Amino acid sequence: MVQNCIWIFSLPLIAFVLQASLGKKLPRQGDFISVIALLGSFLLALPIFLQVVSTGNISEAMSFTWISLPLPIPDSFLTSHPGISSPTFNLDIGILLNNPTAIMLGMVTFCCFLIHLFSTGYMKGEDRYHMFFAYISLFSAAMLGLVVSDNLFTFFMCWEVMGVCSYALIGFYYKKPSAINASIKAFMTTRVGDTCFFLGLMGLYIVFGTSNFSEIYQGLQGGFAEGKTILGVSALSFIGFMIMMGTIGKSAQFPLQIWLPDAMEGPTPVSALIHAATMVSGGVFLLIRTFPILEAGHVLPIIAYVGAITAFLAAMVAVVQTDIKKVLAYSTISQLGYMVMGIGVGAFAAAFLHLITHALFKACLFLCSGSVIHAVHTQDMREMGALRTKMPLTFISMLIATLAISGVPFFSGFVSKDRILGGALAYGMEHQVHALIPILGFAAALLTAFYMFRLIYMTFCGPAKDEHKHTHAHEMPWNMVLPTLLLSGLSLSIWFAGPTGIHGLDPFEVHWFDNAVAAAQTQAGIALHHGDEHIAHSAHGIALVLSLILATAGILLATFTYLKHLISADAWKSRLAPLYNVLVHKYYFDELYINVIIQRGLLVWNNLLARFDDRVVDRILVDGWKDISMGIKAFIGKFDDLVVDRIFVDGTGYVTAAGGWILRRFQTGRVQQYVILSLIGFTVAFICLVAGPK
Amino acid sequence: MSFLDWATGLHGYLFVGTILATLGIIAVVYRRNSIGVLLGIELLLNAASINFISFSKFRTAAIDGQIFALFIIIIAAAEAAVALAIILRLYRLRETIDAGEANLMRN
Repeated sequence: MVQNCIWIFSLPLIAFVLQASLGKKLPRQGDFISVIALLGSFLLALPIFLQVVSTGNISEAMSFTWISLPLPIPDSFLTSHPGISSPTFNLDIGILLNNPTAIMLGMVTFCCFLIHLFSTGYMKGEDRYHMFFAYISLFSAAMLGLVVSDNLFTFFMCWEVMGVCSYALIGFYYKKPSAINASIKAFMTTRVGDTCFFLGLMGLYIVFGTSNFSEIYQGLQGGFAEGKTILGVSALSFIGFMIMMGTIGKSAQFPLQIWLPDAMEGPTPVSALIHAATMVSGGVFLLIRTFPILEAGHVLPIIAYVGAITAFLAAMVAVVQTDIKKVLAYSTISQLGYMVMGIGVGAFAAAFLHLITHALFKACLFLCSGSVIHAVHTQDMREMGALRTKMPLTFISMLIATLAISGVPFFSGFVSKDRILGGALAYGMEHQVHALIPILGFAAALLTAFYMFRLIYMTFCGPAKDEHKHTHAHEMPWNMVLPTLLLSGLSLSIWFAGPTGIHGLDPFEVHWFDNAVAAAQTQAGIALHHGDEHIAHSAHGIALVLSLILATAGILLATFTYLKHLISADAWKSRLAPLYNVLVHKYYFDELYINVIIQRGLLVWNNLLARFDDRVVDRILVDGWKDISMGIKAFIGKFDDLVVDRIFVDGTGYVTAAGGWILRRFQTGRVQQYVILSLIGFTVAFICLVAGPK
Repeated sequence: MSFLDWATGLHGYLFVGTILATLGIIAVVYRRNSIGVLLGIELLLNAASINFISFSKFRTAAIDGQIFALFIIIIAAAEAAVALAIILRLYRLRETIDAGEANLMRN
């Protein structure tokens, strides 16, 4: 099973290499390579997933030492710090295959495969067709690698690769300035979160000396981190907060949610794959993996508030959007907020279930919206309408997914959302200071049902607003319809809880998911304190009724407004003009970040640093160094000229010439003189020899 | 010791050799004529020969010095041939055999 995991993420990686290097020359630009690779991954992941469904438990692991560095730690330090065992830094990486991994593998490979299949239709004839498949294959490989990672280090690497793929794919239509800006915005915004995440990762290394999940869980249970601090705060709180910041960046949570709506500039399958189903859920998956740290670090209430605020604020904005993909983008932010809120209130299983169900129905919604955009060549819902008859299969798929996201019984979203809301309500009842969390959650549930049905009615019902576009609309080919139908089929609650999805009342309830997650919790050492059993039970009952009422209310409100036109949307728009303006401007977050934080803060700081660079580094240090060098140069030049050249070199010449001049005096050329001189010399030498000391 | 004894002994021969050598040196140094210089050299060589023979006769029983003298005579003949050839060349070049004129190596 573990060996299969290697192939699961290697196949898309191989597909990426082939596509990026050869894709252009292959028939059909090689799209079949990616599709087959993802099908292979899915078929390999399926037995793993089915084993979890049937036996309820899978736990395998494999790891090897990737990097082993000897550390230059003196022996005296080691003897004085007995906790540090070996002066070697070992980076072990490997695969952790447990229940959450298996469930995620099943979901991710399935979504990736279907979206690859859909892309073969949607992207047909586009420029750089092969590179599109290369990118989404690389993305799939990274996501699968992230899911199977047994440590936060490779998790983070895959996380960053996904960020890069996201950047490349948002800016895929690189000739559109808005797409380029959106890709840069997405990359820079997530960078804030990623930097924090990396700081958290370093904190983990400081505290635990490892980033392996199992070892961290053991370390936590062994109280290894107690009493340790980083930057004056408890180490676990610091790490937990930083990991949460990573999630906030990647999963587009408040206050870093601004990038996700802009990311809709990318092709629609990308929105479905990356910005709805998988990558943004990666942030939630991180919270699931590191839940024990978050719990021990006491950051769960902050996470709950972040999630609740995100869920509500994004749902509000979704109500006023007219771009079909923007509605879905805000709905994604909102639903991710639900998951984060679920984690925050301790509804671990519910949040994880919502991650899975949301991925399936949101992928379906995005693919359907892709089909619609492909059919009418616009993203503006005000130019759509009456597509129900033209695209019946797409309509049915989208309706099912919409019912799922709105929280209607018999559909998957109901199961998971109801549990999250139940958990939030129980939390609010238990800690009444935190009552805002369930209130925001329920308000978002009402809004979700409203804006999703608004989308359905504006797109598929009512009269056609643009005759030309309407007459040219047609149903999509099989490779685009089949994925949407399959995904909508999986948006039924029967797969996750039972035919109706109502917990406790369903005669044919299935428990595989609960069992699997319970086993996973035991493995991770998560002992969720369920609080008052009585409160929890009654909270779930209230939440069930309340969410049913709210979903119905939302749907009815949308029906009256956008189908029956009993309520005028325009009238309410003018009546609530201030609120409407705030929502259309997305709470002025972009303006806040660009005009205030970037222009007033970062730009000033940037200019200050630039000035420092110019005045101090450049002028004083660089130019100053130049002056010093010039001075030294002049001195050495003078020394060379005066001392070496004149005295030594020329001096040698003069001495030689003078010696030559003196000796030349003797060279008269007169042999007889030479004889006299040599005779004198001989005589002198003889006298010296005879009379000299013996 | 009578004068005759002194004159026929080692010292007498050495005295003759010394006079010959002195005359030879004076000839070598002061003669303008190259032939005269050559003759001076011959006198020097003969002075050396007389010394060798005297020491051989009066100081040892061996005849080494006399053999040296023979060699010196042979060398003197060869040297005279070479020197005369040089003097001929000098005469061809300068139309004179004045030793002072052979000063191309000056300075």
